[in-house]
Amino acid sequence: MRVEAIADVDNTPSARREAAVVAVGLVVAGFVVAGWSLGFRLGNAHNGLLALSFTAVGLYVLRVRPGHREAVLFVAVGVVHAVMFFGRQYGAHDGPLPAAEWIGWLGVWPLSFAIALAGWTLMAFPDGRLLSPRWRVAVAGMLAVGAGLSVVSALWPVDYDRTALVVRHPLHIAGLAGARTFWDGARVSYVLFQLLWTAAIVVRMRRARGDEVRQMRWLVYAVVVDIALLLGGLAVAGSPAPGLLALPLLAVAAGVAILKYRLFDIDPLLNRTLVIGAMVVVITAGYIAVVLGIGSVVPSGRGVLWLITTAVVALAADPLRSKAQRVADRLVYGHRTTPYEALAQLTERIHDEPGELLAGIATTVANAVGAREVVVWVGEADRLAAVAGWPGPGVEEGTKALDDIGGPQWEVRPVTHHGTVVGALALRKPSGVTLTALEDRVLSDLVAQTALVIAHQRQAGELQAAARRIVTAEDAARRRIERNLHDGAQQRLVTLGLELGVLAERAAAADSALAAGVRTARAQLLDATSELRELARGLHPTVLTEQGLAAALETLADRSPIPVKLAVSVDERLPWEVEAATYFLVGEALTNAARHSSARLVRVCVTKVDTGLFVEVVDDGCGGATRTEDGGLQGTADRLAALGAHLQVDSPRGGGTRIATVLPCA
Amino acid sequence: MLFREGLARILTEVGFVIVGQASDGPSLVDLARRECPDAVVTDLRMPPGFADEGIEAAAAIRATAPHIGLMLLSQYVEVHHALRLMNDFDGGVGYLLKDRVSDLGAFAVDVRRVAAGEVVIDPELVARLVGRRRAQDPLQALSDREREVLALMAQGLTNAGLADQLFVSPKTVEGYVRNIFMKLDLPPGQRDHRRVLAVLRFLRQQ
Repeated sequence: MRVEAIADVDNTPSARREAAVVAVGLVVAGFVVAGWSLGFRLGNAHNGLLALSFTAVGLYVLRVRPGHREAVLFVAVGVVHAVMFFGRQYGAHDGPLPAAEWIGWLGVWPLSFAIALAGWTLMAFPDGRLLSPRWRVAVAGMLAVGAGLSVVSALWPVDYDRTALVVRHPLHIAGLAGARTFWDGARVSYVLFQLLWTAAIVVRMRRARGDEVRQMRWLVYAVVVDIALLLGGLAVAGSPAPGLLALPLLAVAAGVAILKYRLFDIDPLLNRTLVIGAMVVVITAGYIAVVLGIGSVVPSGRGVLWLITTAVVALAADPLRSKAQRVADRLVYGHRTTPYEALAQLTERIHDEPGELLAGIATTVANAVGAREVVVWVGEADRLAAVAGWPGPGVEEGTKALDDIGGPQWEVRPVTHHGTVVGALALRKPSGVTLTALEDRVLSDLVAQTALVIAHQRQAGELQAAARRIVTAEDAARRRIERNLHDGAQQRLVTLGLELGVLAERAAAADSALAAGVRTARAQLLDATSELRELARGLHPTVLTEQGLAAALETLADRSPIPVKLAVSVDERLPWEVEAATYFLVGEALTNAARHSSARLVRVCVTKVDTGLFVEVVDDGCGGATRTEDGGLQGTADRLAALGAHLQVDSPRGGGTRIATVLPCA
Repeated sequence: MLFREGLARILTEVGFVIVGQASDGPSLVDLARRECPDAVVTDLRMPPGFADEGIEAAAAIRATAPHIGLMLLSQYVEVHHALRLMNDFDGGVGYLLKDRVSDLGAFAVDVRRVAAGEVVIDPELVARLVGRRRAQDPLQALSDREREVLALMAQGLTNAGLADQLFVSPKTVEGYVRNIFMKLDLPPGQRDHRRVLAVLRFLRQQ
């Protein structure tokens, strides 16, 4: 495991690896060329082609992606087939060649194991890893059965009938009849092999996401085409040769899938194959129907039947093709929404979160016009940023001018609002496909809707920014007023208190009534400074700026008449507005709890979460707290909203009050 | 400035000698090192930052001249500042609301206590802590008198100070203190600012 992991990382072709690749390539090529030189045999040709194609693709992938597990399996399949091919060519040669018994033997018995190995290769596609430990057990079982059958075939000539070998089995061991019976029964497991790898591919196809889907499509395409050729060959010519000879297609498709799936899009190929396949089937069926039907009713010459058939086919071809094309489009590109559905979808999404809304537009556009990729750009004509996309976010960095967006196969539509460009919709259709007139109209409608969405979002963003600025300005003003009070009015009043104190001392000796009056004045002054102090402190908590959130919340708890349990797990300093919003939220909640809730305990929890700072204040009081238009809670909610946070107030009557929010912060 | 000069004037009136005045932290530290007074009275917030420059200056003075008593005045009194002062300074430190200076006699006593190495904590701060409601209030186990003693201890009074204030004998005070410490499950035998720190921390717990 570890060694392979290292090999995955190391991408420089080492001399040893290159030598190994060349050696394996030469050996396989040698076997195949030597085999061909002994003559052409249709029944064996597919083994040679398999050897060449799998080895070549495997070695090529290994050179590009050292240590690729699937490629190793490919090479193994190729080598085994090379040996079998050469063995069969050699053993089937008419003039007996030296050691033909043994060499021919090598061409026969590995077959069972080779089939199991090929099954494993298919099941491990595209990365060489099996889906789960359970599949590993299944593959191990399959390989064991394959190996077992190969051993039987190596010991007794049970599989010689199906080969064209002229030589006999080199071993003569008793029990041939029993071995033959066993072999004929056990060969059923080939069917199980097929079912097993088919199931594996189906399961993987269903589970696959993103790139793996594209890779799997290549393989499935090759498998389906090959099966079609196999069935067609058996049906028409009674020979599996077309299917067997097309097996290298699998290797090629798999290689493309592993290395180039992003470069070549399989869907157009799939589409055309489906259309052509359907046409071939229908025309063939039509021909047979004409020949059998009309031929039996109206006895006529061959030429006439051909003429009729051709006429029918010619008449039916075009509607047939467009129907087949529609079905193929639907199969390949998926369900296409109607214009009405597309606009309805967009209307439903209009209340989504801003980020999701633009992604929703991308999805809607993709569904409506069958685009392979959609990117939503927002900004000004010379400075657009990709903000959302389909199928994935696929968002590019940086900004682009409108004219620079897109490329071949891309359709770019500027989005304008009141005549100015506010964004762009860029979409890529499958290669060679252009927008139909209907799609074009839907796209225009969607572009108009997008303009409204972008304008709306822009306004929302501006409002949010304005609210934030107001809060920041308010905080700055509070800070300034607090400072001014501290250095100004409060200082003067304290000095005044000092003077009154001195006066009281002096008056005490001379005039007790005057002294009492001065002391009363001083007491009133102290009440006033005390009130002013609380006011100033409420304006701007200096402890928050100096000591941070945890210390500031402790001072709130110190002043709370209700017991407060603090759970603050924030050590670092956060942006001022986040700290201030948290402080004022907790302060407001504690004040409310003290005033109205008759709670016995308030719990305050402040902690960092993925999305920001989680703040929660819960009391065990009488509940029933509401936001009033000019109440403190509404002010707190406004402050939070300016920071993009939402205030949750949960206060059922008799069930305590829970106030919570998550403040976005990095 | 007005306040500082007023304060200097009245402290002179009650018998203090003002050796100098400074308008910010660094010049205060220089002044204190040069003049080596018995006590320094400083604002907690000072230019340029108006944060906790007073505490910084006090710490600098304490580092070079440990015998100088330090009295910090502030517009607000906060528990965390009090705890920090008790924690970082080995006695000889006071923390009062600025308003306290209007009761000249009491203030003069407090400055002298700080100069003598005692601890002075503002009564409002202590009252805030003592008066707060608790889920399970251990203070309920205390008698009214014991609660009074606890509050005075938190303000920094020594046993002798307590005896004077309460007009009882030092022995009686020791009895009160022992009882309070036992009832609140606090480590006994601590003196001076250590005791204030323990009591403040206890009062702050929920």
